[in-house]
Amino acid sequence: MNRLITAAACAAALTAAHADGGSYAIDPTHTFVSFEVMHRGTSTHRARFDRKEGTVQFDRRARSGRVEISIDMNSINSGVPAFDSHLRSKDLLDVAAHPTARFVGDRFTFVEDSVTEVAGTLTLLGKSHPVTLKATRFNCYDNPIFRREVCGGDFETVIQRSQWGVNHGLPGIAPDQVRLVVQVEAIRQ
Amino acid sequence: MKSAACLLAALGLWGSGSWAQPATYVLEPGHSFVHFEVLHFGTSTSSGRFGPIAGEVTLDRAAGRGEVSLRVPTAGVDTGLPVFNARLRQADLLASAEYPEAYFVARNFRFQGGQLAEVRGEFTLRGVGQPLSLFARHFACRLDEGVEVCGGDFEGEVLRSDFGATYLLPFVADRVRLRVQVEGRRK
Repeated sequence: MNRLITAAACAAALTAAHADGGSYAIDPTHTFVSFEVMHRGTSTHRARFDRKEGTVQFDRRARSGRVEISIDMNSINSGVPAFDSHLRSKDLLDVAAHPTARFVGDRFTFVEDSVTEVAGTLTLLGKSHPVTLKATRFNCYDNPIFRREVCGGDFETVIQRSQWGVNHGLPGIAPDQVRLVVQVEAIRQ
Repeated sequence: MKSAACLLAALGLWGSGSWAQPATYVLEPGHSFVHFEVLHFGTSTSSGRFGPIAGEVTLDRAAGRGEVSLRVPTAGVDTGLPVFNARLRQADLLASAEYPEAYFVARNFRFQGGQLAEVRGEFTLRGVGQPLSLFARHFACRLDEGVEVCGGDFEGEVLRSDFGATYLLPFVADRVRLRVQVEGRRK
């Protein structure tokens, strides 16, 4: 198996990347959406949304793209069941009333062949505000298992949760600043 | 350092006077986790969580010393993806059947300007012990209904091959970043 993957990866490396315009589906097994927020000035809580889906239109030559990601807010997972319940409650994410969050990014910034920023709109608790995800890395490669081109990277931004009406515990228990981290790969269709 | 601490204590600047004594803190399960991050095909970071981690930390700020002993339940690895969790537990990665826990034991604490800066010790994964430094990105203490709680964010890096966890090298990177969130309640 390892030898097979090695051979396939070497063959893929010899093939020129062919990132013309195309449609990509988010690979849920290599996509992680999480947030980080300071707890009482002491340590950083991390929690993840385990179910997400989305599509990307991406054209390296035209330097354009559009991404749509939907996040199942019920799938929040902090490792602490009591904290997850509180996060789902009306105090915070009110997932009964707003089960889905959505990011639509339609302004891609490139430096040479790499995406450096994706600007768009984050809709959370029914409120929409502009958000710019900054890429800390970006790459496309020919995946030897899918035998397709895969593009992806690590993106992050800091939002002010009060903009979306998530005010509980401000500012003493947790500050307004929440770091969003999106580690994503998408497979060419 | 000792004389500076005495001077600060005499001036009442050391905060609560009891901080000058060694104090032991028990990790809080709601705020003590390890996240790992590893680069997948040079493209995106794959990540997962271990925890809650359990253990105790002794801190003697005045003397600039400390001791920590932690257990990390690696068999309970949680990436949010059952297939990924199962793959991680196999013999060529976490070898969870044989080694359900990892351990971190450290007695080498480095303070800088009165703040905890680095904890150097031994990390044991898959039964293999290797040196590991955890660097404090943030560290603070607070009073929680009269009880002191200390904690922070720490980061370190290991090469998984040093521990024999070799699956999919080099397509999934050898270098694994550990990001540790920890809070301990004073005994």
